[in-house]
Amino acid sequence: MATASAVAVTQNTNQRSGGATREYRIRSLARSAARLSFFSSVSGGASDHRTADFRRADSPAVPQPASQQFMKYSSGLGGDSSANGDSSSTRLAADPDTHQDFQPTSKSSNMSFDDIVARDIKENPVLIYMKGYPDAPRCGFSALAVKVLKTYDVPITGRDILGDLKLKESVKAHTNWPTFPQVFIKGEFVGGSDIILDMHQASELIVPSFHYQKGQLKDILGDIAQKGEQNESS
Amino acid sequence: MMASRGTGAVLSRAARMRQKLQSALEANVLDIEDVSYQHAGHAAVKDNANETHFNIRVISSKFEGQSLVKRHRMVYDLLNDELNSGLHAISIVAKTPKESGS
Repeated sequence: MATASAVAVTQNTNQRSGGATREYRIRSLARSAARLSFFSSVSGGASDHRTADFRRADSPAVPQPASQQFMKYSSGLGGDSSANGDSSSTRLAADPDTHQDFQPTSKSSNMSFDDIVARDIKENPVLIYMKGYPDAPRCGFSALAVKVLKTYDVPITGRDILGDLKLKESVKAHTNWPTFPQVFIKGEFVGGSDIILDMHQASELIVPSFHYQKGQLKDILGDIAQKGEQNESS
Repeated sequence: MMASRGTGAVLSRAARMRQKLQSALEANVLDIEDVSYQHAGHAAVKDNANETHFNIRVISSKFEGQSLVKRHRMVYDLLNDELNSGLHAISIVAKTPKESGS
């Protein structure tokens, strides 16, 4: 478990998303063209295809500009107030003892979000649904998972589930896993921060093939790192 | 190791979790530690930092042949009611007797 959790909480309350969004733009320049259009919509230059998806998914009462909708999905900047509004109303409607993380999910009402999640998982070699951002985590467990992954030379795509309750519900329904962070590598759900740390540290024993072996995280991330280097140099 | 004891008829969350995990997993070792105080400043902890975050270490031969994800799912499923009633996060160590060296 993350012993840095207390530190992470106090230091990240001052890091709002402004800095993190700038970091994202810098990072995104090194990524593939598909992902570049995804992130460039933050500055208003989205491809029509991606923009249309988010417009449909969100279906707000008042039409919002596409870039603003996108920001609500990915950064939680514009969406903070409405996201908080969503979560508090959801909390009141459901059992007040139930933490909003574990409220029941309903698959049927989030079809388009499920599509977004499925595509996200498929298109990003290393994807982490987390609290906060890779450069500004808002939870010790998320911070730990990111910290471990960053020791490998791989591009890390982070999605903040704090800013979007629908996204959070959709991911939880997808994996049937109750907590965050959730790490996907090459389209496959790998686990939470405990598992990522475990795979990174490796056990002293050589264990059977269905369990992890020494340096397994390095093995499965190894070819992603090489691809990443090729993209960044071109 | 630091499982809190319930007073009177109402069991603490740790005691409830111990009951659920021990019987289903037939654990050789089951350590449940309440570390909620470490997350007392966490935004997600509403009213008090009480029984919200735990470290769980379980050694059971029922984990033989199970991936880490599968093992954690087993624990999550057994604690589903707790997760729906205020348990916020658990840190899981799930090993077989062989892996733990015992």
